Amino acid sequence: MRRLLKSRGARKFTRNRLAMAALGIIAVYFLTALWVLLGGISMEATRQRVAPKQVPGFLETRTLEERVAFAMHYIDEVDQAVRLASRRDQDAYEILADKALAERRAAKMSTDEYNELLDEAFAVLEDELEGVEDLSHHPELEPRVERLEEIAAALYPVPQGWEGVKYRLRTFLGSDAAGQSISVRAVYSVKVAFQIGLITSVISVIIGSLLGAAAAFFGGWIDHVITWIFSTLSSIPYLVLLSVLIVVFFGTIFDNPERPFLSLVPVYVAFCSTFWIGPCRVIRGETMKIKELEYVQAATAIGFSRLYILVRHVIPNTAHLMFINFSLLFIGAIKSEVILSFLGLGVKGQPSWGIMIRDAKDEVITYFFWQIGAATVLMFVLVLAFNILTDALQDAFDPRHVD
Amino acid sequence: MWSFILRRLLYNIPVYLGIILLVMVLLRVRNPVYAYLGKNADAKQIEEFEKSFGLKDPFIVQYGRFLWNGIQLDFGESWKYKGTTVREKLLGAIPPSLSITVPALVLTSLLSITVGLLSAFNRGRLLDRLLVIAAVLGMSISFLVYIIFGQFFGAALPRNVFGEDWPLAIVGYGDWYRLSSVDIFGLTIPVPDAMTWVKFCLLPVLISVVVAMGYDTRFYRAVMVEECNRDYIITARAKGATKSKIMFVHMLKNAMIPIITRIMTTLPFLITGSILLEMYFNIPGMGRTLITAITDMDYPMIQGFTAVIALLYILSIILTDVLYALVDPRVRLS
Repeated sequence: MRRLLKSRGARKFTRNRLAMAALGIIAVYFLTALWVLLGGISMEATRQRVAPKQVPGFLETRTLEERVAFAMHYIDEVDQAVRLASRRDQDAYEILADKALAERRAAKMSTDEYNELLDEAFAVLEDELEGVEDLSHHPELEPRVERLEEIAAALYPVPQGWEGVKYRLRTFLGSDAAGQSISVRAVYSVKVAFQIGLITSVISVIIGSLLGAAAAFFGGWIDHVITWIFSTLSSIPYLVLLSVLIVVFFGTIFDNPERPFLSLVPVYVAFCSTFWIGPCRVIRGETMKIKELEYVQAATAIGFSRLYILVRHVIPNTAHLMFINFSLLFIGAIKSEVILSFLGLGVKGQPSWGIMIRDAKDEVITYFFWQIGAATVLMFVLVLAFNILTDALQDAFDPRHVD
Repeated sequence: MWSFILRRLLYNIPVYLGIILLVMVLLRVRNPVYAYLGKNADAKQIEEFEKSFGLKDPFIVQYGRFLWNGIQLDFGESWKYKGTTVREKLLGAIPPSLSITVPALVLTSLLSITVGLLSAFNRGRLLDRLLVIAAVLGMSISFLVYIIFGQFFGAALPRNVFGEDWPLAIVGYGDWYRLSSVDIFGLTIPVPDAMTWVKFCLLPVLISVVVAMGYDTRFYRAVMVEECNRDYIITARAKGATKSKIMFVHMLKNAMIPIITRIMTTLPFLITGSILLEMYFNIPGMGRTLITAITDMDYPMIQGFTAVIALLYILSIILTDVLYALVDPRVRLS
């Protein structure tokens, strides 16, 4: 490891500014993931309703129709509560207290005060706005729409201060079809991506490089068995193998969306059993070369045991390939998660970029791009950073590599 | 040469047996009976079922029987679609897959070889840099996002603007092929006619080309850059050959080996089809049939399909090796 850090390749790598920027971005993502893991965003927060469904980002309601619909959502909420209260002979505020949209809570008023505001709102709506064909051709009606918005804000005041900042953060990328915050879900997904990416790529690289080095170094039947195993696994189409491996877990305790941490186990198992092949192949090839080199012969001549030579001299000299493969597999894991989640075999019970993109597929046709946009941009930046990192690592340590 | 081919064939037999073993073992980790009959099946039903499918026999007997029937291309009957044999399903699923993957492969290869060549020849210049950056950016976006936006800009949006006359459909439907059929081996296989192909297949093909371009261009560029530094290019230049002649005659010819290998290794995926595209656009090809069989736990289908796909895969690998050995005699010796 120390030898690797002092090598010429490492110097070439650290001089690559683009690669350093990519490392910085990855570090930011990693810290975000850590923050989420330590409770920065709870699972409940990703499920909480923060706004009416499919509100665009920045609460941006451009046309007058959209502004009316947005205001009416809050007014209707209060209207329903008041009706329910009169039937149950209850205070309307008690019902409304349960209907909070994250930090945005209903104002505390008596039922009469609610009714007063509601009457005015419906009067505005019915007398002046309803029946107008196309509101965008009637800019003179804008003050009336503004009045409606004022009533909505009086019923459901936008919180001030720290609460207000939190509310704006939660709503600034809009809401999905269930009224959940897109920004919260997209950031929470950073954790899920790192969870899947780190666990599977670290395990796969370790298994793959140990097996690959052992296969090439010891040769004979060990080599035959290991080659046989990875030839077999790689002759089945990758997605088919993943699906079969995950379906095996159906109906067990690992198939329960209520326990999101356990339900990721099939994904880990499936990824690890396919991902180790890449590093295994590469490191097997490299070890074939290394074992003929002078320093290995010298170590053998001195009388070190085979295992010692493998662990001390051969494996450390493949470390650069491990890093390259780690980076490649991380990308692979994040991308495969999206595809598996689309097929319904991936992440369950918690948001992930895959889940968000899958949910967004019907929204796109209706011109709602906030959910797919948020997930794609966050994922794109991370994958791009890893792609740049991989290229830089390859340039620095393995320059003769093709593809 | 023949001994080389024979060696490759013999070497791959244990691999093939391993694939069948792996799939059969994985499918038997959980009792297949419950997958088929549901959790509330009574004991008599279960017994009858196990007997009729031979699930009571020791595993090795089942394994042997599957291999023996497989050699005769008999994979049994689908559990989900009763009365349909796996073979019929298999043959029916091949044309939809091929009608997407073959045009996609041809287009992708032609485009990305040309772009790779251009990029390598202008190495270090603006065009090359832009292409390299575009390839990396393109590789960083998820396949699914390409599909969703491809569908939006290729079908949903133009349909809204130009009306229903727009030739591309939003999704492919189950009856996407008009039955102009071809007889192969005594079996009638439906093939899409040109208009239906454009309607349901063109969009998936274009999406798949765009997705593959990033990876392929980078690969071909790397290959061409490698060739650029060879002595024969310098000689050709010194002799005064024109730039385009060097590019398309000298370089392309010599870069053919890695190009052929790359294309050969993608051949098995022609049959498998692009699983994601088929799932998304409802195309009843191999990939979609297999993935739905997996989620439906239709065991004979899964076994039959993987057996055939793996066979094709291994055969194409052997073919690649043989072609390679033909072109480069040094390979045969190692």
